[in-house]
Amino acid sequence: MMKVTLRNLCKYFQQIKAVDGLNLEIAAGEFLALLGPSGCGKTTTLLTIAGFYKPDQGEIYFDEQLVNDLPPRLRNIGMVFQSYALYPHMNVLDNIAFPLKLQKVPKSEWKARAIEIAKLLEIADLLDRKPGQLSGGQQQRVALARALVRNPKLLLLDEPLSNLDAKLRIFMRAELKRLQKELGITTIFVTHDQIEAMTMADRIVVLREGRLQQVGTPDELYDSPANVFVASFIGTPPMNLLDAEIEVGKGDYRVKTSHFSFSLPKEIVAKIKYIPSHGVVLGIRPEDLIIGEGNIRGLVYVVEPLGRDELVTLEAGDMRLKALVPSRLRIGLNDKIEFSFSVERVHLFDKETGKSLYEEA
Amino acid sequence: MTKKTGAALPYVLLVLVAAPFITMYVGFFLRAFGEGPQLGIFPERFGLSNFSFLWEPITWGLAETTIWVALANTILFASVSGAVVTVVCMLAGYAVSRIEFKGKNTFLVLQLFLHAVPGQILLIAIFFLLYYLHLLHKIPGIALARASLEIPLGVWMTKGFFDAIPWDVERAAMIDGCTRLQVWYKIFLPLVKPGVAAVFIWGFLFAWHDFIYVYTLLPGTAKLMSTLIQSLLATEVIDYGYLAAMSLLYMLPPLTLFVLLQRALLKVPIFGGKGI
Repeated sequence: MMKVTLRNLCKYFQQIKAVDGLNLEIAAGEFLALLGPSGCGKTTTLLTIAGFYKPDQGEIYFDEQLVNDLPPRLRNIGMVFQSYALYPHMNVLDNIAFPLKLQKVPKSEWKARAIEIAKLLEIADLLDRKPGQLSGGQQQRVALARALVRNPKLLLLDEPLSNLDAKLRIFMRAELKRLQKELGITTIFVTHDQIEAMTMADRIVVLREGRLQQVGTPDELYDSPANVFVASFIGTPPMNLLDAEIEVGKGDYRVKTSHFSFSLPKEIVAKIKYIPSHGVVLGIRPEDLIIGEGNIRGLVYVVEPLGRDELVTLEAGDMRLKALVPSRLRIGLNDKIEFSFSVERVHLFDKETGKSLYEEA
Repeated sequence: MTKKTGAALPYVLLVLVAAPFITMYVGFFLRAFGEGPQLGIFPERFGLSNFSFLWEPITWGLAETTIWVALANTILFASVSGAVVTVVCMLAGYAVSRIEFKGKNTFLVLQLFLHAVPGQILLIAIFFLLYYLHLLHKIPGIALARASLEIPLGVWMTKGFFDAIPWDVERAAMIDGCTRLQVWYKIFLPLVKPGVAAVFIWGFLFAWHDFIYVYTLLPGTAKLMSTLIQSLLATEVIDYGYLAAMSLLYMLPPLTLFVLLQRALLKVPIFGGKGI
């Protein structure tokens, strides 16, 4: 188990700042997800940690050792690529054993270790096949076995689930999570899929345009997003974001949108750091909307059944809001309804900077 | 025009175009195996007497040699040339495909430019180069010079093979513990095996049928197949049957090589991984 520390990590490609001043500490045995849209710098960060890119600034430490100049082969890491990158000319056994053979491990030992890891990943019956004869899911297991066979101190996963079909992806999500905990290897996992990050990772790092947006557990990111970007990126369906203003009365903080207004409860007022003069962004999670009761009037724009729940889009004034409600409500198109929301669960952001107005927990 | 004649038209045209060549080849074979005086395409009788060079020394003017010496010389010349082209191009092709260095693009453009220069222009310069390197009049030395003519385009060719290998495969190998050189010979070379064969055959064949370099840079006493046939043509009495038989032998090795390696040439590596 190994701790990884990134200190002010920067990687530029000509004018583009792919990674810009990233500070991060990854605890030993942690499962960390790097999450962000394409082009946010998550893969660059991973390849820099692996040693394929040299940082333009900053340092990477494995435990206490500075590894900036260490070539990938000496970093003792395992990596699974999105394309799996198996060696097409070798069979599964040789693919898995390749890292051990390079270390000049005697044949009896590399064979035993490769078979052991193949058994763990349930691919022991495929050992004499070539990668071209395997399904996507099998190839992924082989890639994983190859990455794990020499007991690396750090496991890097670059979108390992993206090329699997939906059903297998959900299955492998759980398998990977279980495996990581069983083996206890520090793991960094790159994904653009927030559900993957939420379901698998101990902590999530949200990146955007090379800059760190927020680090935290899935719950922290969901419950207290640090800015509008994180708020809109984490959660399906995404948070409703509305332009609003805060009016300070006598002992009363009132949030006003173009269609409705409400008083902020005390516990939220206590969290607010400052009140911006240029307006705020009000964030309401779809599941915090309550339909059928309340004093805001709206029209049902569209209803999308999801089985257990229904996703209802409401039109209120010039706003559209998404609400996640139990499907037994049976709401129809263009129904006039009243709705409200849990005021104690709203989020407020500075309209100009996008940052949360709340004190950090 | 009916449908049938319409369908036949391409074949008729192809036969018309191919006919002169086929006639020549047939004539060539018949001549090689023919005996006695011959006026048209068909000889009076068939026999192997034209192949007498296989067991008798070959003479022209006052000089003589045997076919086996000429054949050995040609194989040595073509193999050295093919091997040099293969080794240099495989290394250089990897470098220009995968490693960033200053002046890489200029280097690549220069290679194309070099290829555009006809080899004959360089003869005098190469003559002096080989002279100063003490390689003149030596078959491996000339083979080296011959190889250098094919290397520019060969580098482009091998770059293409290596470009087709995904970066992730190389990265995986480096993570697994390979140095750059190990990536090259443990992963890349096996993956471009058909390419290795292609480059070797290509270097081998160009050297095999080379005439001008061999003729100019080797002493007249050291005969390769091409110069041997030429010197027999230069004698006063030309025995066409004898020449045809010898030319047939000259054709045989490249033909065999091609047939043997053609499977390797056609086999394209299939990359694992869905979605590549």
